[in-house]
Amino acid sequence: MVQQSHSLRPACKDFEEHLVLYYYGDCPAPERDKLEEHLKECASCSRFLEDLRAYLPLIVRPKNLPQAFWDSYYRELQKKLAALEEKGAWWRELRSFVRPWAVPALGAVLGLVLALGVTFTRGTWRLWERSNTEEIPQEIRVAANDIDFFEVMDLLDSIDLLEALEKTKSASTGSQRL
Amino acid sequence: MFHGEDSPPDPGDDDLVAMCHRGERQAFDVLVRRYMHRAYQIALDFTHDGEEAKDLSQEAFLRAFMQIKHFDRRSSFYTWFYRIVVNLCLDHHRRRGRFLRERLDGRNTEPAEEKEMAGAPSTPDQEAMAGEVRRRLGMALDGLPKNQRTAFLLRNHQGLSIPEIAKVMETTEGTVRVHLHRAVAALRQSLTEFA
Repeated sequence: MVQQSHSLRPACKDFEEHLVLYYYGDCPAPERDKLEEHLKECASCSRFLEDLRAYLPLIVRPKNLPQAFWDSYYRELQKKLAALEEKGAWWRELRSFVRPWAVPALGAVLGLVLALGVTFTRGTWRLWERSNTEEIPQEIRVAANDIDFFEVMDLLDSIDLLEALEKTKSASTGSQRL
Repeated sequence: MFHGEDSPPDPGDDDLVAMCHRGERQAFDVLVRRYMHRAYQIALDFTHDGEEAKDLSQEAFLRAFMQIKHFDRRSSFYTWFYRIVVNLCLDHHRRRGRFLRERLDGRNTEPAEEKEMAGAPSTPDQEAMAGEVRRRLGMALDGLPKNQRTAFLLRNHQGLSIPEIAKVMETTEGTVRVHLHRAVAALRQSLTEFA
């Protein structure tokens, strides 16, 4: 029961910490004896101790939850633990596969496979390139080879055009003279 | 619990931890049943919220389950486990600090659950006075530095001894005594204006 009828006064500085420990039963024996002697004559410290006894239990929450709450709590936690275990098992399996010695071993095997692959497939790449060429139709390949011919033909067309222009020009100058 | 001559006594925490190390899953269930009430209560003292307390305390068990193989048994299981709970609560408090402060500042009436506290007063006046004292103490407690608050909650609410609190908080017993003293002094100071 709270009886708030006196003003709060501090305890003696030298004893305050020990009073707190004394309240909790943690004050070591020599200090406790000294404190008990002091309490007989000091009203402030006695009042301080009374306050602790009156107020500190008020903060504690005595929470008497029903058994149903704890049953539900336990079941919920069991589900979470089971899920964690399942996840842990999957992870353990993965980790057991990836052991420290397995990493360099796997690297060496991959390196070997790559080296063998490069060695034995070198000719295959060239054949592939050749066969690729063979697949191009004959007409297109001929046309590609004769590209210079077409360029020359373009040039000849240009010369013909220049000659025609020249003729037109000379004809017009002749008619002007006449 | 009463044990007949044929029934074996409940295994101690150390035995249960050793069984966990051997992969005996049921041993951990016994530890859960043994500590779930206290884990929940600590989390509730820190959060003032039943759902959050449940989540945090269950999370502490999950972490303990994952880490128990690395627990070297140099300290007791419950000291080790309390440390997990307290650290989770402090992390949670840090993350939610602003929200909690706002909620506390805006709190005009005490939550319903706080009305169930110990020491039921006999008259309406005394009831009102006790309610006000609790409210002030609760607010002062929430405003304490985290180390003082942790030391106080573990001693006042959980009944841990000073050496046990020192192990949970990974500090010296002297430091715990100082935290506890300062916490109590601050709480008492919060009532000065009310007196």
